[in-house]
Amino acid sequence: MRLTPQSWMFAQEDTKEICTSLLYSLADSAGGLAVIAGAMELMPIATLDLRMDYLRPANGDRALLAVATCRHLTDQVAFIDCDIFCEADSELLATAKATFMRNTHGQQFHSDGLKKNSV
Amino acid sequence: MSKTDDLAQQRSRAAESREKCADWKALLERIPYAQHLGLQVQCGDAVVLVYLPCNETLIGNFMLPALHGGVVGALIELTARVAAQSKDRDKRCPRIIDSHVNYLRSAKAQSTFASAEIVRQGRRSSLVSVTCWQNDKSKPIASGQVQLLLPTIAAEQEELHDS
Repeated sequence: MRLTPQSWMFAQEDTKEICTSLLYSLADSAGGLAVIAGAMELMPIATLDLRMDYLRPANGDRALLAVATCRHLTDQVAFIDCDIFCEADSELLATAKATFMRNTHGQQFHSDGLKKNSV
Repeated sequence: MSKTDDLAQQRSRAAESREKCADWKALLERIPYAQHLGLQVQCGDAVVLVYLPCNETLIGNFMLPALHGGVVGALIELTARVAAQSKDRDKRCPRIIDSHVNYLRSAKAQSTFASAEIVRQGRRSSLVSVTCWQNDKSKPIASGQVQLLLPTIAAEQEELHDS
């Protein structure tokens, strides 16, 4: 998944650094797509948890590239790794680890989500 | 404690909260992405909250419908950042090192609130815990912990020197 920076994405008025929260959103979106790609079916999913490590600041004049991999898939849960690179020099900017709940249909998410969190 | 003491204490607490509120507001206004999301600061009795008004563009799943997980993550990260920066004596701009968010309930397309608790603020780093909820504070939709790095004074001086 690719993202071209724009000025509203910046972390601070006076710098050209992209806000980490944008990388976070990118990892969440790419991770979600990886679940669907890994399962080879279009089903509703929900993020259970996501952990980001920001290794380097993301420069606002270069496009970002997110590569998400589905590590393991069970009937209920998907485990995802995602790396975010700077497209120009393929420098690693951030890494993410996420788990997604699969097949969430509205209300069902509540019980499933709670069960998972109490384990 | 006499009544006047009590009243004075209450007043000073209210003044402190107002001051913190203005502080947070100023910090949030300087973050273009926070402005894009429409984040606002709300002043409670003793706590300061960050408020995310619901907006159609922030929906991640139209079938439920639910807020995008990344938006909730952003709310948590930015709240943590503002909390850590306002707590710092020199108002240094912190850099987020990592963040870990747990999604507890589905985030409906509603107004969302976030409050921050500083677990520890040191000279170089800060750990902030943030909780998000919608209409019921006792039913949080997500909670997260954010580690922030405060730039050392030496590094800042170097930067000044360079520019």
